[in-house]
Amino acid sequence: MGYALIISEVRRGVFEERNLDSIGIANLAGKDACLLIPEGNYNINSNMVDRIIKVKIEESLFLNPLIITGLITKIMDSLGLPDMVIFTHSSSGIEMASYLAGKMGLPIITDISGYEKNGDIFFKSYYSDKVFGQFRKIKDNPLILTVRSGSFKDFATDKGKQVEETTVEGLSDIEERSFVEYVEEEKTGVDITKAEFLLSLGRGIGNKDEIPKFEELAQLLKATISGSRPVVDKQWLPKERQVGTSGKTVKPKVYLAMGISGAFQHIAGMKDSECIIAVNKDPEAPIFQYAHYGIVGDANKIRDKLKDIIQGG
Amino acid sequence: MDILVFVKRVAATQEEELRIIDEGKNIDLSKIPFKMNDWDNYAVEEAVKIVEGRGGSVTAISIGSAASDEVLRRAIAMGAKDGILIESNETIHDPVLRAISFYNFIKKEKIQFDAIFTGVQSEDDQFAATGGFLAGKMGLPYASMVIGIDAIENGYFVLRRELEGGLQERIKIKTPCVMSIQSGINEPRYVSIMGIRKASKVERKTVKFNDYAENGDAVIDLIKWSYPEKKGKATMLTGEVDAVCKELLEILKNKGVC
Amino acid sequence: MQDEAASRVLVCIQCGKCTGSCPESGRTPFNIRMLVRKKQFNYAIDESMPWYCTACNACTIRCPRDVKPSEMIIEIRASLVENGNIPLAIQKALENTFIHKNPWGKPRSKRGEWAEKLDFKVPHISETEHKRLLFLCCVQAYDPRCMIIPVNVAKLLNKAGYEFGILGEEECCCGNEIRRIGEFGLFEELMEENKANFREYSVKEIIALSPHCMNTLKNEYEDMGIKVMHYTEVLSNLIKEGLLKPEKPFEKEMIYHDPCFLGKQNKIFEQPRNILNNITNGKLKEFLRSREISLCCEGGGGRMFFEPEAQYKRNSETRVEEAKEKGAEIITTACPFCVMTLEEKAIEKGLAVKELSEILMEVI
Repeated sequence: MGYALIISEVRRGVFEERNLDSIGIANLAGKDACLLIPEGNYNINSNMVDRIIKVKIEESLFLNPLIITGLITKIMDSLGLPDMVIFTHSSSGIEMASYLAGKMGLPIITDISGYEKNGDIFFKSYYSDKVFGQFRKIKDNPLILTVRSGSFKDFATDKGKQVEETTVEGLSDIEERSFVEYVEEEKTGVDITKAEFLLSLGRGIGNKDEIPKFEELAQLLKATISGSRPVVDKQWLPKERQVGTSGKTVKPKVYLAMGISGAFQHIAGMKDSECIIAVNKDPEAPIFQYAHYGIVGDANKIRDKLKDIIQGG
Repeated sequence: MDILVFVKRVAATQEEELRIIDEGKNIDLSKIPFKMNDWDNYAVEEAVKIVEGRGGSVTAISIGSAASDEVLRRAIAMGAKDGILIESNETIHDPVLRAISFYNFIKKEKIQFDAIFTGVQSEDDQFAATGGFLAGKMGLPYASMVIGIDAIENGYFVLRRELEGGLQERIKIKTPCVMSIQSGINEPRYVSIMGIRKASKVERKTVKFNDYAENGDAVIDLIKWSYPEKKGKATMLTGEVDAVCKELLEILKNKGVC
Repeated sequence: MQDEAASRVLVCIQCGKCTGSCPESGRTPFNIRMLVRKKQFNYAIDESMPWYCTACNACTIRCPRDVKPSEMIIEIRASLVENGNIPLAIQKALENTFIHKNPWGKPRSKRGEWAEKLDFKVPHISETEHKRLLFLCCVQAYDPRCMIIPVNVAKLLNKAGYEFGILGEEECCCGNEIRRIGEFGLFEELMEENKANFREYSVKEIIALSPHCMNTLKNEYEDMGIKVMHYTEVLSNLIKEGLLKPEKPFEKEMIYHDPCFLGKQNKIFEQPRNILNNITNGKLKEFLRSREISLCCEGGGGRMFFEPEAQYKRNSETRVEEAKEKGAEIITTACPFCVMTLEEKAIEKGLAVKELSEILMEVI
């Protein structure tokens, strides 16, 4: 059975959860899972893979596409060619994967979210998930993949056997590309377009006095508050939090709209959110046509109950 | 500084419903309008800003049908000096083939450059691989998800890459290099229709894709298209407030946001 | 293109009548008289200023020297457009119009979908005998709230046996707001495409649903030889001729708001009133500022797409308060932009806004 070389995505000492999807597809495709990771105290359930190769290298060098390519070439020299080289579909993952493909002249398919063992077919999203292209590789060389987060992690299971661990030498830093430092998000002002989770408030909340309680809920949920135009016009929220055609366009992972009816101009600003959840008293509110989940109810009551449940434990 | 920018003409499918036709072989794009790939817009704007500041020129290159001339004109209207079309009437799905085509063209025509900009990905196939593949093949330093260029000095770009969760990393890469530009790096200028018309007066070269296709055998095969699983209307959460809220919290947890 | 400016800033005597008529003055930093003054001397103008203008045209109508200040605003905007120096929201509206032929970026292929709500088929203009075109308008073709207007008007015309046809997805944005934003190149392209269609299908008459569309089709599309009317003109005639008979009176207390593009700019004051007075037995209320001096709702001139920085009490709120003072339960009007800007404020204060066709549908 061939092996899949899985390149860990690690960041500031954390072994990213996305790596489980890489491990998952290796298992699904029936390949020996061989995990490449820098030396360090990463919290991995090593029983999910067949083999771990630890590299004596600093994390930032490991993530450098120019350097990782050299490392992978060395590994392939000693272990032989893998059937697949798997990366997470993430900022660093895509960067490393595409560079490796070019350097070694290998086929690459990115953002894989489905796989059919029969025929070795990979499903790749097109036009923002409106259709899927089914791909397979033509030649016999290793296929480079980046895998969409959440697609295969259920297949990353405990193998229940001894994991082979080896350590290899790393490579030195290079001047062509070098890491300088991490830059944290500036905390001044709010950029709702960068938030992963927006708790968005509309006129349905009733009046300005309800806002502080929503802010408490937002804190508990780790959400960022945003709002529709009427709420901003009334100055219940500052303009920088406005979602809509005359405000900002947002695409968060979750958009929880409370008391928002779903006027056309508002929808235009948030319709591409990954998951839209709408709470509104009016079952005919247009927002339900765009939401993935809906609750017909009073936004304030739902808010209070959510807080109770979270704080109650 | 001389910068090459790759631009692509893509279908504007945002609100459209797409139909798969020919028994899964094709997608019906006949009624869909086309436009410049959003990410490329940012890339052109960034390149033009740089040369406006330090001198040099921007050249836009596109692979596509003759209709792709419109994105070259747009790039010129934004400030590019000229445009080159590598004409192909077939859609090239494999990013490897596109990268190899650019590679061959640059090598054969001995194109000089300090940097190559691409968009992080294109709106249609979202492969996000062409820039990186080209960089790897050319052995040039590469950075993707570039969200800000902080300095250009001593033959290096000092730039920031967008990571996950609002985090960024600052890195240095040496020129000549390849960069894939992330949306949001700047605010692309508006190009008026009159501006695009004026751009028609600037010379755009056209070459044939097949003339630059050596060593460009497809390595992946697109077998067919299929639809995603049906997403119905909103799933309504019903019942007692307590139960509904608990269900809501489960959904949030599954989405990984809290 | 605009080789010669339509405006004549050099003859301005700074009388201030423009600022006195302007719906933005006093509430916002926008001062049209001062902007004309600055233009006279070629002083720099703050780039955010020109975007306040709602294109109501009151200044141009009232100016004693025919300076045409509203055209000057369009010229200033045009040079900002050419420099690419425009607010992002306006940019998006223009880019959407260029690609999808409507500022909302909705699919062109769905522009005719409103007609599916009817229980009869609306013919394509080419299939009609009289070549009478019903021109939709982008808002009414796509916005769920306003889509009821073409549906109602279609039903009313059908009931009166008044033949009409549509262009469906071949219709493009009329370009009225586009021209007011200063994108002349795009306006020309839209105009050319619409005109080519009118020619191809030998259109003889156009019934426009929006006063904005009517305005540009009638006054700014050159050399068409086509009769352009607002639908209220048509319905007013049909009622007069007895082809449409209101069956019962409209009982609720109602007040009529003159849209700028219908009223002060195109002098259509009586036809909507004929219709409404007929069905309210003359009990239709009037605003203090009505007809030529109707208070602009601030929906035009690109303001549908863009919110300026200043926080101030909107005219829509003032208008609704006045309606309430006069004892009206319903504000009626004949323009989709007025409907959209007034409705939000009206609902807050317990009033309803109904477009004229919605009123008619209740009584016919």
